[in-house]
Amino acid sequence: MDLSYDPALDAFRKEIRQFIADILPADMQARQRTKAANNAYVPDLLAWMRLLDQHGRAVPHWPVEHGGCDWTPQQLFVFNEELYAADAPEFDWGGTHMLGPVIYTFGSDFLKDKFLPMIREGATMWAQGFSEPGSGSDLASLRTAAELVGDKYIVNGQKIWTSGAAHADWGFFLVRTDKTVKPQRGISFLIIKMDTPGITVRQIPQINGEAHLCEVFLDNVEVPADQLIGESGMGWTYAKFLLEHERTTSSFIYWNKRELDRAKEIARSEMRGGRRIADDPAFRARFARAEADLLALEWSVLRVLAHEETDFPEAAAASVLKVRGSELQQEITMLQVDALGAKSLRYDEPTWDAPAASAEWPDYVAGRTTIALITRAATIYGGSKQVQKNILAKLAFGL
Amino acid sequence: MDFAKSDIQTMLLDSAERLLSPSAHIEYWREQRHTALGFEEARWAQFAELGWLALPAPEEAGGLSGSLEDIALLNIALGRALAIEPYASTAVLAAHILDGATDRDQGCALLGEIVSGSLRVALAHGEPGADPLAGSAAETVAKRSGDGFALDGHKAMVLDAGSATKLIVTARIEGEEGTGLFLVDADAAGVTVRPYPLIDGTRAADIDFTGVTLPASALIAGGNAGETLLEEAIARANIAQMAQAVGSMEACLKICGDYAKERKQFGVAIGSFQALQHILADMFIAAHQARSMLYHAIANSRRSAEECRAALSAARIVIGEAGQLVSRNGIQVHGGYGLTDEYAISHHFRRLMALEKQYGDLYAHTERFGEHVLA
Repeated sequence: MDLSYDPALDAFRKEIRQFIADILPADMQARQRTKAANNAYVPDLLAWMRLLDQHGRAVPHWPVEHGGCDWTPQQLFVFNEELYAADAPEFDWGGTHMLGPVIYTFGSDFLKDKFLPMIREGATMWAQGFSEPGSGSDLASLRTAAELVGDKYIVNGQKIWTSGAAHADWGFFLVRTDKTVKPQRGISFLIIKMDTPGITVRQIPQINGEAHLCEVFLDNVEVPADQLIGESGMGWTYAKFLLEHERTTSSFIYWNKRELDRAKEIARSEMRGGRRIADDPAFRARFARAEADLLALEWSVLRVLAHEETDFPEAAAASVLKVRGSELQQEITMLQVDALGAKSLRYDEPTWDAPAASAEWPDYVAGRTTIALITRAATIYGGSKQVQKNILAKLAFGL
Repeated sequence: MDFAKSDIQTMLLDSAERLLSPSAHIEYWREQRHTALGFEEARWAQFAELGWLALPAPEEAGGLSGSLEDIALLNIALGRALAIEPYASTAVLAAHILDGATDRDQGCALLGEIVSGSLRVALAHGEPGADPLAGSAAETVAKRSGDGFALDGHKAMVLDAGSATKLIVTARIEGEEGTGLFLVDADAAGVTVRPYPLIDGTRAADIDFTGVTLPASALIAGGNAGETLLEEAIARANIAQMAQAVGSMEACLKICGDYAKERKQFGVAIGSFQALQHILADMFIAAHQARSMLYHAIANSRRSAEECRAALSAARIVIGEAGQLVSRNGIQVHGGYGLTDEYAISHHFRRLMALEKQYGDLYAHTERFGEHVLA
């Protein structure tokens, strides 16, 4: 074990920082920084993907033959860290980090040729159709059915919590293709065009004024059979692969770091009772704890990226990332809200154009509560905190 | 950055497993509670034979010039076995100060004695009511007199003082800047040692220095160099102790997981209850983050003094909190048995409590790190 920093990584960081400064348009960066909404501004997100792709850096984590950069895990970490720190638009993770790896690992040449360039070039947003009204934490019980008729699947059912479905041209869905076998064995992975007749998308008004999460109703939707990924009945395996392939994503490490920096900016600027929030001992203690916990999370991410050998399965370390990452998202956004005090109560329409800033209402105010409210979801989606703890009890203790 | 263990590190851990496992039980701890020394002299000799005392020392003094990673890995094993020997104070802390002695020959000669197991040295630094993170002596003062010094002052809770034959005493040199580090025989005239046990079975002492006459050669290092050397040495002792805390927490996971499977209530193993499973999951998360933070402190120890200090306090926060969460829940998992001296978990609880409060407690490190974070 040798934990020394690699000096070459510092040089790489410098190069990436300069690269982003060179190509990130100022208006795009400003919108990302000051937007009053949590969800992405789709035109910026797609335009940014195109820009990155022009420089061969849209999907650096993919294999080289599909457009990857052949970087080490540590280099990928630095790349993402710098993108977030620079307020670049975020990736459409569903496409770049979930669907993409499933297609290039299990998909046919037809699927690779058709969809990998679309993801890389930012041609569309992707909807992720996994959860159903009766299948949340118990995802394997999903019931949306796909029946093979000739060269088409006929899909019927309902999905819920489908992020961004209203803005997505395409989606990837877990569907039941066999009701006669064990629930996990009867699930398949299907790509569906969102404007196919029979699909109805209803946006769900959220706690924060946005309506990013959707219900998707599928009524006799005809899907070409060649849009099934890999083998029929293997969807559950692919979904598990997808989650295991991206073990560190759930830590939200890059996001957490940027948001803690923003919380510090607020604490250094906001005054209460004649002193800065940053000088209040109670706040200082909370910031100290949050930053220390975030550093621990960062090292836990590095350990998983390097596949450190421990006495426990790596999946246990991944569950730690999910639990602590989501808890920190909540603690850090609440630190922002608490540092703003009553100012955090002002409601701004969740749009991508920032309200005009003033001395009393600096540009960091709008959006903080919008984001903090929806961040309560972090400990619920992707395997709730309680499900993660069940997993940990099994993996780490054999219970 | 490489997380895989080197061949030497693997050998080190194998030797630790062989020596420590058989004695990692309460009989040993109980026995030693009533001895004068607090541990077996024969075991200290084995520490020397296995090269553990040589690990942190420089090669020219017969040491192995081991890395902090090597030292940390060994200390994880020591913590897992709840070793009560004064490894951190002698082999890590005092050895580093002697390695930085102004008189290189003197330093190496003393280091050679540490390596062979014939010398133990304790640092007498903290004073009653003083800032636990202060890098200089509060009241203890050395006056230049003739060719040497006269030392006066009080030191509080000097860790492992009872088993040390020499002390390194921090003192302000009258009229001079920085910190003087003085080598003092524990039985010198004018030195009064009042020893007592700590809750975890280790030993400490309050020590008075009254007109202690020292030769010029007693000054190991002084001025700003003395202050820097002291901070570095304490930082390394912190790494060793944090590693021991991580080892102790990982032992708690094993102990509690086993107990949850063995102990039956309502006709089933208590580990089948989800309420208990989630407590254990919380313990695992905390211990895992604690190890991550040990790595962070080690990685930053080779950076600037400010970065090193910040990383150390951040690590002390995460590891201190984790130690409390793991050991408190560890008792809860055991029910009433967790409170008995018979069960190992109560010994880990005491050890983790002691480790949280030495070299600055959770509050001191939180305050210092908070200043850094919002500077």
